[in-house]
Amino acid sequence: MDKEEIKKRVKKVTAKVLEIDESEISDNSNFSFDLGASSMQSIMLVAGFQEEFNVEMDEQRSLDVQTVSEAADFISTYIS
Amino acid sequence: MSQRSEIHRQNLEKIFNPKSIAVVGTNNVKGTVPYDILFNILKTEFSGVVFPVSPGERSICSVKAYKYVIDIPDPVDLAIIVFPSQVCHMALEQCGQKGIKGVVIISAGFKEVGEKGLEREKQLLAIAAKYDISLIGPNCLGIINTDPLINLNASFARKMPEEGNIGFLSQSGALCTAVLDYARAKHIGFSKFISFGNKADISEIDLMYYLMEDEKTRVILLYLEEVTDGRALMKAARDVTRTSGKPVLLLKSGRTDAGASAAASHTGSLAGNDEIYDAAFRQAGIIRCDNIEEMFNIAIAFAYQAAPRSNKVAIITNAGGPGVLTTDAAIHDGLQLAKFSEETMREFRKSLPSNANIRNPVDVVGDARADRYNVALTGAFREPEVDGVFVILTPQSMTDIETIAREVVKVSKEYSKPVYASFMGEADVAPGVDILLRNKIPHYILPESMCRSFSRVFRFYRDLDTELHQQRVFSNVDHDSVQGILNEAIASNHLYLPEEEAARILELYGFPVVPEELATTPGHAATIAERIGFPVVMKVDSDNIVHKSDVGGVVLNVNSSREAEIAFGRIMHNIREAKNDAVVKGIQVSKMITSGEEVILGIKRDPSFGPVIMFGLGGLYVEVFRDVSFRIAPIDEIIAESMIREIKSHKILEGIRGKPERDTGCIKECLIRLSQLALDCPQIRELDINPLIVLEKGSGCYVADARLMLQPDNSKE
Repeated sequence: MDKEEIKKRVKKVTAKVLEIDESEISDNSNFSFDLGASSMQSIMLVAGFQEEFNVEMDEQRSLDVQTVSEAADFISTYIS
Repeated sequence: MSQRSEIHRQNLEKIFNPKSIAVVGTNNVKGTVPYDILFNILKTEFSGVVFPVSPGERSICSVKAYKYVIDIPDPVDLAIIVFPSQVCHMALEQCGQKGIKGVVIISAGFKEVGEKGLEREKQLLAIAAKYDISLIGPNCLGIINTDPLINLNASFARKMPEEGNIGFLSQSGALCTAVLDYARAKHIGFSKFISFGNKADISEIDLMYYLMEDEKTRVILLYLEEVTDGRALMKAARDVTRTSGKPVLLLKSGRTDAGASAAASHTGSLAGNDEIYDAAFRQAGIIRCDNIEEMFNIAIAFAYQAAPRSNKVAIITNAGGPGVLTTDAAIHDGLQLAKFSEETMREFRKSLPSNANIRNPVDVVGDARADRYNVALTGAFREPEVDGVFVILTPQSMTDIETIAREVVKVSKEYSKPVYASFMGEADVAPGVDILLRNKIPHYILPESMCRSFSRVFRFYRDLDTELHQQRVFSNVDHDSVQGILNEAIASNHLYLPEEEAARILELYGFPVVPEELATTPGHAATIAERIGFPVVMKVDSDNIVHKSDVGGVVLNVNSSREAEIAFGRIMHNIREAKNDAVVKGIQVSKMITSGEEVILGIKRDPSFGPVIMFGLGGLYVEVFRDVSFRIAPIDEIIAESMIREIKSHKILEGIRGKPERDTGCIKECLIRLSQLALDCPQIRELDINPLIVLEKGSGCYVADARLMLQPDNSKE
């Protein structure tokens, strides 16, 4: 799966969890600072990504991921 | 004042009296810190304007929310940042761009979580410096200003405290919530309530100076977990108390200390962190408290009542036993029972029952109602010798507790003398206690706490009146030569200076040193001993031997040339037996001083407070009883005198059981010289003068032995 495809699916999960329109999300959107994810929503995002990509991620490291691009990079390490 | 401190001074006004606040990173999730902070600001009816900043919400608590702080169209005085720690720097950057100068970061996840968090904290500091922002926190509860014109509760405390004149500063946020709950139950009000968390930028020092100038604050309370800059804290406390007359009460956690045991000298091992804190706080005029209860016991005394003019008090009680207990406690705490005039006693005799005690402590007897308390209180307040009144009440079946409490309030309002109360008990006296506390009469469950609090207040104002003395600086010291010796020793990595060199340094700093010379052969020792005069002491001189007595390296009371030759041989034999690898330079032959009292003086360099000076009596007193006193350098004559008087065994120096009075003037001079040496020579890590032999008054003293440890280099201070 290429990076662009991962990003697209990250945005889809983010829009669903944060209840916002996908068009509001850019590659550089910061989950907390730009999209307003609360700490609870951050955990829900990690869970959403794990389910979407069918991977088990290191929870502590995943919570350090701040942007859509970073999330795509991080997820790609698990898929490859 | 540093440039940052000057910026803080200007910005703190906006932080505590803002006209507009942005809550950055708030959300709509009830029961979370980001939500509660905004909710508390709105709930307490903050007098200014509030702007929620939340990237994901259109409104919070029915107030329009902005995506970014830079989107707010109006000026903002204060930003409260509650974002996760990972993005706080982004929010702070935008605050800088928006021109906001006051910021409180509530979020945790910084220095307290380790290296990564420390990096984040440094990032915040760089941004704050770039935009001249003053920053409280991170990792804190927030701030509260009870001034009705402001009404600011920018914290996640459950409730806004009552308005009052106590300023509370705390490094721990969790403790703040407990303190607020405790204070609310006792109607204790605050002027400002400030949790400063990791004190990354604004520290307790900046906040103390702010409260010094704050008209609403009369007493400053400080809870600290770590002292970062001890000397700055001491200076701030002195400035606050001397300039404004406001007391600083401090609760410092971490009394136990394991670090002192690793020290190489007596002074090092005796001067644990807590002893140094105690000495420093006392020297700075800070009132150190053992626990929260004691802190508030003393705080309400300062906050509610006038300063006592003397330590003479009147005790009014409805029971003999508690009257005696209070008297005992008062005397124990250095107070005096005022002596009533004939006129006062005549009035008492006329208006109180015949079985009442009309002398101090006044016993109005068990069946006393408010009228008798009125007579006793009025008489005590009018009595010229009384400068404080203690009201004791025990709840007996006929005691009208609430009426008496109201009477105490009513009568005390007519006089300017301080009045404290102890309605002893818990359940029955509660309504009366409530009346007292609501009317700012300090109340204590135990009379002992009442006496102790009065005593602390009295001593604070008494000490405030004492004049500061000019520091004495000795000019007959050879600073350059000492620097030369110390630097050469450090350069050659000789960090432990043997007795001979330590004595040389002390001699160059004007200390009286016992005449001595180094002998290299038995015959040489005999010649030196004859020259110095008998009796002499002989000690091994070796860099490898710290405790000479332990290896048989010391012989006392050598009375002839022959004995000197024998002693030389014996010491050399003992060293070969006990420490064969030791490099021996020779045997020191010195004048034996037989008639003096041995005392110990020392220096220990503390990373936070700098050089600490120690004094104690030698031998058992220091080894077993740890009967020593400490002060932070510089010390003047008054401080040196107090160091001598503070140790329990000081009476020995005054001359008891036929022993002569010792030359304490000489000890004082040595202590001041030691302080000067410590400040002049930052290379000295630890120094023991053990013993300094003090002769009879007027005959002086001698340094008999000394040890000196150096720091590897000055940069490690």
